[in-house]
Amino acid sequence: MDFRFLAVARVAGALWLMLLASVVAARATQAQPECMLSLSGRITDHESREGLPGATVVVLETQQSTQTDAAGNYHFHLCAGSYQVQVSYVGYSRETAVVRLDGAYIRNFQLHPDAVLLSGALVQGQRATAPSPQPSTTLTGAALQQTRGQALGEALQKIAGVTAIQTGPGIFKPMIHGLHSNRVTVLNNGVRQEGQQWGTEHGPEIDPFIASRLTVVKGAASVRYGSDAIGGVVLVEPKPLRDSAGLGAELNLVGMSNNGLGAASATLDGNIGKLPALRWRAQGTLRRAGTMQTPDYYLKNSGFAEQNFSGAVGWRKAGYGLELFHSQFNTRIGILPASHAGSKTDLLLAVARPAPLETTGFSYDIDRAYQQVRHDVTKLTGFLQTGTAGQLQFTLAQQTDYRDEYDKFRPRNDNLASRNLPELSYTNRTSTGELLWEHKAWHRLTGSLGVAGTYQFNRYADGSRQFIPYYTNLTGGIFWIEKWQLNKWLLEGGLRLDRRDLAVKRGDRSANGAFFVDRTRFRYTTPAASLGATYDPTAHLTLSLNTGLTRRAPAANERFSEGVHNGMYELGNDLVPGAAALAPETALNTGLSVHWHTNPRFNGEITVYQNRILDFIYQVPLTEPVQTVRGSHISWQYQQTDATFRGIDLSSSYQLAARWLLALKGSMVRTRDTRADEWQILMPADRAAASLRYDWTEHTGRFRGRYAQLGVDAVARQTRVPDNYEARDLLATPAGYVLLSLEAGATVRWGRLPLSVSLAATNLLNQRYRDYLNRYRYFADEMGRNLTLRLHIPLELSRSAQ
Amino acid sequence: MKNPVFKKSLFALLLVAPLLGACKKDNDEEPTPDDDNEQITTVRYELTPAGGGTPVTVQYRDLDGDGGADPTIGTLTLAAGTTYTGKLVLLDETKNPAVIISDEVKEEADEHMFFFEPSNVNLTITRTDKDAKSLEVGLETRVVAGTANAANTTGTLKVTLRHQPGTKNGTFAPGDTDVEVRFPTAVR
Repeated sequence: MDFRFLAVARVAGALWLMLLASVVAARATQAQPECMLSLSGRITDHESREGLPGATVVVLETQQSTQTDAAGNYHFHLCAGSYQVQVSYVGYSRETAVVRLDGAYIRNFQLHPDAVLLSGALVQGQRATAPSPQPSTTLTGAALQQTRGQALGEALQKIAGVTAIQTGPGIFKPMIHGLHSNRVTVLNNGVRQEGQQWGTEHGPEIDPFIASRLTVVKGAASVRYGSDAIGGVVLVEPKPLRDSAGLGAELNLVGMSNNGLGAASATLDGNIGKLPALRWRAQGTLRRAGTMQTPDYYLKNSGFAEQNFSGAVGWRKAGYGLELFHSQFNTRIGILPASHAGSKTDLLLAVARPAPLETTGFSYDIDRAYQQVRHDVTKLTGFLQTGTAGQLQFTLAQQTDYRDEYDKFRPRNDNLASRNLPELSYTNRTSTGELLWEHKAWHRLTGSLGVAGTYQFNRYADGSRQFIPYYTNLTGGIFWIEKWQLNKWLLEGGLRLDRRDLAVKRGDRSANGAFFVDRTRFRYTTPAASLGATYDPTAHLTLSLNTGLTRRAPAANERFSEGVHNGMYELGNDLVPGAAALAPETALNTGLSVHWHTNPRFNGEITVYQNRILDFIYQVPLTEPVQTVRGSHISWQYQQTDATFRGIDLSSSYQLAARWLLALKGSMVRTRDTRADEWQILMPADRAAASLRYDWTEHTGRFRGRYAQLGVDAVARQTRVPDNYEARDLLATPAGYVLLSLEAGATVRWGRLPLSVSLAATNLLNQRYRDYLNRYRYFADEMGRNLTLRLHIPLELSRSAQ
Repeated sequence: MKNPVFKKSLFALLLVAPLLGACKKDNDEEPTPDDDNEQITTVRYELTPAGGGTPVTVQYRDLDGDGGADPTIGTLTLAAGTTYTGKLVLLDETKNPAVIISDEVKEEADEHMFFFEPSNVNLTITRTDKDAKSLEVGLETRVVAGTANAANTTGTLKVTLRHQPGTKNGTFAPGDTDVEVRFPTAVR
């Protein structure tokens, strides 16, 4: 099965590459005038997502104008700089956007029909573009809509090269190019998410309904985002605050058949016409799921319940702006009893069972064991345009993460049991500040200089288990990024220097049981540098090459975690008898990507990368168990080695015929431990996905933008694991699998409201399978067939007459 | 620098200052012993010969808890052809005075069950106490030592405590392991 799958994948991959080569070769380069930065994009109907041919696009500054082609595409050649682009089309409201150009840039517009009474909306918004030579992918619009109701880490798996370490149906930890946890930085509305992100069973504490764009920057982005971002960065960006007068709302409703998931999210945003600078937004989400079903049984205690809200108020003028944002995330996630084992004996018993010992019927109840997590963020951000010097931005944020984990059984002692306290209870408080100065373009250079600081305090509640010690972490960094643009070339270079002061207070007991506090303090200075180039040989092809050097200082958990968690004994490196203290790891990252875009038929992107990490810090099960009163435990220790990550990501689409679109994506990563000369543990298996989509292209009538899509997802068995694997990790890697999915949707006019409705079926054939990256794979199968109904309702509640 | 931008940046840095001021308070916070957390440091098996005589005791003790220094584990030596009355004592000796965990186990006898597995040693162990539902518990036992071990050989006795709230049915399978210790054991 695996063999055949791989053979097919190889043939398909080869064909695809040949197709790509022919397309690249076919594009002869032409002589170009000096300012040849490409600004292109597609103008579509917001609801039907169909191209609008003959729409007028004007660059206000240069008064260049053009009309879109039959597919709705437009195209300009411009010099670097900031432009206002205005798009108009009969029957649709006019839109203007500010676009900052420092390389080839694609800006799509989705116009709202006048009939919905959205006329006069001036949608302004300047988004920080991701670092140009760096491969990055954004989920927005219809693609994001298809993930509504899913957790953040689950939704991001739509992007080639992004996988997730999963703990059942509720917890998804994003993994980029085989790296995760401390090495993936998540920016939640511009604030570095800080909490207990070290844990593989700790999902990011973020409500994805807040986002109108999810962007993944693949590969090291440490210069801009801090030395931890060796694996990549996830940007969660809400819609900019409303700048046109009126009051709008958006309602998202999601229901799932398998686990009875129901999600409702509402956003309300307004702008009082009399005070156009003042704008606000309020948003809230409820998400609740019951017991998940595999094809054969219910997964006991697999429900979750989530309640989130956020609010933002902004004041924005042309020359300055200020925005205050607050959000709270709350979740309770049930943990499968079978996975919550007391000892290695229990684990071995659970692993040997074909199905968990305890199963159940359907229920929304969440019993012990469960995680209760709350995350609060308050952010103040602002910018100031200074005529001569450029732009100054600051971000100040305070966030607090509360993580309580309740064991399966209450304490034996009745007094303790009646208090019902969590066995693990952490509070993590983080203050961050960043000041960024973007200087005005000077000759051909644009760039920015920034300082960033973090103060973090982590503690566990009195009486709870330690596992992660008390620590304070003070980090300061300074960075400088410059871009140089000439004709079709863009060069980018950056430098960063970080200083980290980590003070740890760890409770311990001497051999005779006396309690003492062990104090340690570490100071590191870590540099980072990056160099990249982007070349646009034609308006439809972009080549990027980037390299980076990063040093990452070890985190508190890598040094000092200690204790038994879910039947496994975990030990930080510095507590291993005889081990030397951890040294910072050094990552050398190289990536090449080819992006061919805005072609009528064939579009796509290929990224090839290598990440060499010296003194790579990782956790691995040892063959020598640890003896405790509950018997022997598998010991997962943090160690250092040298590792090489090499991989390829592909995503592409081909317009087979007028209404038929074929899409293919896939990713592979190979990770060698070069010191031990073996494969690294817990790396994503090779995967590929294909979809065939049919679009009805009606412009009128009650139903618009109808589509149907058939998808195939294939994941191979992970055969590249460390030597002697089964003896160390209980169970061999699970077999590969192929899943079918089907989705159909349309925009239905209900009065004047354009309702987007879709119905999606995943695991259509209700197959039994397990995934290597799911921590429940030892105990239970994955989710069976699931039907998801999604409804999106945009509302325009009022428009104040101006 | 008379640049107004410079002034603004200083202003922004001043804004950060109160946030950083939080350090002082945090520095005073100290980890405390996990007082309220129940753990088991000591497993003691006391065996009294049925006809009277000196009791035999064997003990597993790990005062610093999981990890750290290795536990000390005693050796159990029983006399051939003797019947003993066995009693298990579980303690948490990190507390002062030590918490007698076995008393708590006894109070919740319907959630707990001990299992005894001798290997390479001729022992017959029978639980003699029962919970409210007439299921055996194992805090109290009768131990019959059979024929002596061959010279210079020692077997093991594995003692397991299963915690089975709501699921106890007299078998091993339900629940979790709270204690699993192996004593080197011989009949001489």
